[in-house]
Amino acid sequence: MASLHTWAGLVPGWLLFVIFLFGTVSFFNDEISRWMRPELQSGSVSAQALDRAAHLLRERAPDADSWNIALPSARSGSALTISWIPAGASWRERRELTLDGISGREIGIRKTAGGNFLYRMHFDLHYMPVMWARYLVSIAALSMLVAILSGVVTHKKIFTDFFLLRFGKGQRSWLDAHNVTAILALPFHLMITYTGLATLLFTLMPWAISANFADSAAYYESVYQPAPQPSTAEAAPRNPPLSEMVARAEQVTGMTAGTISIDKPGVAGGTMAIWPLGDRLGASKDAVYIDMSNGELIDAHHHVGGAVATHWTMVDLHAGRFSFPVLRWLYFLSGVGGTVMVASGLVLWTVKRRAKLPDPTRSHIGFRLVERLNIGVIAGSCTGIAVYFLANRLLPVEMASRADWEINSLFIAWGGVFVWTPGRPAKRAWTEALAACAVLYALVPVVNALTTARGLIPSLIAQDWVFVGFDGVMLAMAVACAFTAWKVASHKAKAAPRRKVRAAVEATL
Amino acid sequence: MIHTAIFLLSLSGFILLLLAMARHQQDWLGLKLSPVISRALRLSGFAALALSFAVAGVDFGWGYGSVAWFGWLTMAAALVVALNVNRERILRKGRP
Repeated sequence: MASLHTWAGLVPGWLLFVIFLFGTVSFFNDEISRWMRPELQSGSVSAQALDRAAHLLRERAPDADSWNIALPSARSGSALTISWIPAGASWRERRELTLDGISGREIGIRKTAGGNFLYRMHFDLHYMPVMWARYLVSIAALSMLVAILSGVVTHKKIFTDFFLLRFGKGQRSWLDAHNVTAILALPFHLMITYTGLATLLFTLMPWAISANFADSAAYYESVYQPAPQPSTAEAAPRNPPLSEMVARAEQVTGMTAGTISIDKPGVAGGTMAIWPLGDRLGASKDAVYIDMSNGELIDAHHHVGGAVATHWTMVDLHAGRFSFPVLRWLYFLSGVGGTVMVASGLVLWTVKRRAKLPDPTRSHIGFRLVERLNIGVIAGSCTGIAVYFLANRLLPVEMASRADWEINSLFIAWGGVFVWTPGRPAKRAWTEALAACAVLYALVPVVNALTTARGLIPSLIAQDWVFVGFDGVMLAMAVACAFTAWKVASHKAKAAPRRKVRAAVEATL
Repeated sequence: MIHTAIFLLSLSGFILLLLAMARHQQDWLGLKLSPVISRALRLSGFAALALSFAVAGVDFGWGYGSVAWFGWLTMAAALVVALNVNRERILRKGRP
């Protein structure tokens, strides 16, 4: 059981760290997006803006194949976005306009990958086909489940040592840190891993669909309510304002509107689909359809089965989009616990084996590989995220494929850590990488204050808690990295007891 | 407000559970309590955790409430661990 835990944790460990880190960050996906689009003002979409959006679409694209209106949530960092597909064109040729959520006026905002990239990185990774990434992530998540369950058995003292965290005792301290972060948020770790696998359900088990349906499209058609046929009644179209129809749909169904799509908007008697934002635990993810001619909801009497409802609830639990700010923070902090758990497990592997090395200066290749990967992945990915935020503020606004370059900056910085650290002794490498990481995180609020009008002090005055909180988390991250770097630098390796050394030397002979 | 109640109930639950353990009794109180008292502490600790779950469920609904309860449980336990790490510092301050 112990070796199962060791290897199920170590082999996918670096990928698990990346998944945990980016997943944890993604609980604040919308807040990060808002920070990364400082031109946007906060606040929910006004009825006036919605009607202006509809007016713009009627004016610019009266004969389009379809219209799409994406509404940001009250906490969201995306703009009110309207897009349309010109008649006969494909989805790739769609046109897009960004509007201010309050006035409905067209606005220009910097191109950014936003929090959404960090979220996609969590399960789609980057620079590789999405399906490959998802298979890798699925395997890692399965190993995680095995590692958690075998870990409860292996570290059998976790319940008697529940409250124990002893510092300054080398391997013992690392074990304590690993155990404490694991056990304190154990319900979260189990839930997030299991529901994570549930979100990848059809990647892992496509056969449930292929055994029962002709293709996956047929499956989705049977789960989601089919779009109703537009009414053919001769009644003169009343064409109520868009805001009125959305408000009505929200009032009747209790949903929060997320995306609105209108097919064949030029044809009289069309229908409009309103997709929910998904901010309620276990709520339907099905669209609500509205008859455009009179603004009435079309009740299709569509009910989903228990299995689909369970799946939807699991996905909601995993993503936590339903949570109010307090619960969101709890999700985030539990996620930080998980990230530290994975990192401490990885470091523990090396600490445990370093003590057994006959000569610490000469280690075998496997040991060196794990040690270097630990530095490169743990310090590297954290550095990358800091640079990603800096790039958002520093790259020229008019730069071509700016959003892509934000992402590239993240990986260039991460790669930089990988190139820099192998040439340094392990301890120096950790110290330098973590110190660089701390400096970069500390720079984020500074660069933000210099390049935008939304620095810490103006945000405090405006009581803009998203911006204040973002700067706060960056500073906390800088302090955490600096503290760890200082701890590593001031750490003096204790000489292994003679008895142990002799035993180890004898074992190698 | 409800969040505070859930948190404080979980916190007292974990403190009671901590004090029900022989090792921590020695550390914090300087003596070992009798098995009867230890069991009473353990039971009341679990009762406090159960009560905090009930508060969360009744006020937030059982779905949202249970997610929030697990979150606060983690935070409360983390605070108890933090207190335990700084035990000597705290005890030194408490002494006249």
